[in-house]
Amino acid sequence: MRALRTAASGMAAQQLNVEVISNNIANMNTVGFKRQRAEFQDLLYQNVERMGAQSSSQGTVVPTGIQIGAGVKAGSVYRITEQGSPTQTGGRYDVAIDGRGYFQVLLPSGETAFTRAGNFALNGEGQLVTDDGYAVQPNISIPQDAVDVSISKSGQVQVITAGTTEPSIVGQLELASFFNEAGLEAIGDNLLMETAASGAANVGTPGDVGFGQLLHGYTEASNVDAVAEISALIIAQRAYEMNSKVITTADQMLSVSAQVKS
Amino acid sequence: MENAAYVGLSRQMTLRRELDIVANNIANADTTGFKVEQLLLGAEIGERARNAFVRPGVSFVLDNGIGRDYGQGALEQTGRNLDFAIEGEGTFFKLNDGAGEAYTRDGAFTLDPEGRLTTEGGAAVQGDGGDIILDRALGEPSVAADGTISQNGNPVGRLSIVRFDALAALEKGGDGLYRNASNATAIEATDAQVRQGMLEGSNVNPILEITNLIEIQRAYESVTRMIENTNDLSRRAVERLGRA
Repeated sequence: MRALRTAASGMAAQQLNVEVISNNIANMNTVGFKRQRAEFQDLLYQNVERMGAQSSSQGTVVPTGIQIGAGVKAGSVYRITEQGSPTQTGGRYDVAIDGRGYFQVLLPSGETAFTRAGNFALNGEGQLVTDDGYAVQPNISIPQDAVDVSISKSGQVQVITAGTTEPSIVGQLELASFFNEAGLEAIGDNLLMETAASGAANVGTPGDVGFGQLLHGYTEASNVDAVAEISALIIAQRAYEMNSKVITTADQMLSVSAQVKS
Repeated sequence: MENAAYVGLSRQMTLRRELDIVANNIANADTTGFKVEQLLLGAEIGERARNAFVRPGVSFVLDNGIGRDYGQGALEQTGRNLDFAIEGEGTFFKLNDGAGEAYTRDGAFTLDPEGRLTTEGGAAVQGDGGDIILDRALGEPSVAADGTISQNGNPVGRLSIVRFDALAALEKGGDGLYRNASNATAIEATDAQVRQGMLEGSNVNPILEITNLIEIQRAYESVTRMIENTNDLSRRAVERLGRA
């Protein structure tokens, strides 16, 4: 019976849905996390009776035909890059992006990764790094005798060293933007990688057209909406239950047929 | 004599097909832009197996088509600026997927590396002048209710929304696509409205589908019981006649 497999595809789809939702809820407090959404599409259709087929020798045709669908599949799971709210942390090296763009991070493998999580720190050499110790690109070094650090909206990093009153510029943060942000590949640790689908990174200065501004002393909260996720979870569970009901029905119908005496 | 069994069989076969369709509706209850379907049944007057007696003709059950409800599904806010929903029944986004024109209600679009607006499956979304290509340097696209796309305040294209004079001519192609099976003409739908940042849910009514499910199961059981009774009847007839 086709209905059994169709309902099984529905259950598999809802299971994926629950997995996506649970990942969103689990990352509700992850800095710079962007919630994901599973999008479903119908599977292939079987033409039992093709529309427009001849239904008699008099030239009459079937007006609507019969098409039976084979269920559902996950079309895509995409990231929703809505802005998360900036949260004041007071952290000396915390930076949030207000608008489009990603910080660039140099991975130990030599590749460049991208992130929205701006909770940076310094390493032993005074270099600005992520909390995994990966250097933020372009390299920015803070002198050891820096008393105060300030990062402007346009990404200029200035320090006041001991004994001076004039701030001096030690570096400039840059942002990368992508044409198709949904095409970036998440590799965990808040990092994203460029893919053929995302297009090449377009690097620019914060505050320019197409790039967001920086907020020093803030981090970007995740854009997960707890209420929306919980209601999505309820819908997914009910949909799962309904599909299982179809399986029970199909099974009972088969069993009724199997019990017919010969 | 066997008429009852055959009539029962014709009903059983259509019930199984109905179950397949209801299963597909329920499986797609959460599918973007999905339109619910239903099997249309008719009575087929069959020839009597034995025409010596004067009695009414036998009607078999025949499924002669499916009805698709093109009613509007609920709009869901997603907050993504490349998600679009159409408000307006029986209207579609026009696509070109290489194999020709296709149509969809699923407006979860994306951009390919060249900036072309496509579906998740890669079919190019069609505008007034063919493919819609956005320029990265111009910033976020915003779409007006009539489908006009503008970037930075300047119009850069317009989504093509079409409708058909005969909706029955459309065939589902999977992946949320519809194809024009006969040569129905696609006409510009000027009254349809595009909503940005939203997607259209399916128009499956879960309660109705579960009710259908129960009805199908009970009908199947009673038809099966009828076939059983017919069987009993002929068995008993054979036994008694054999004794005589």
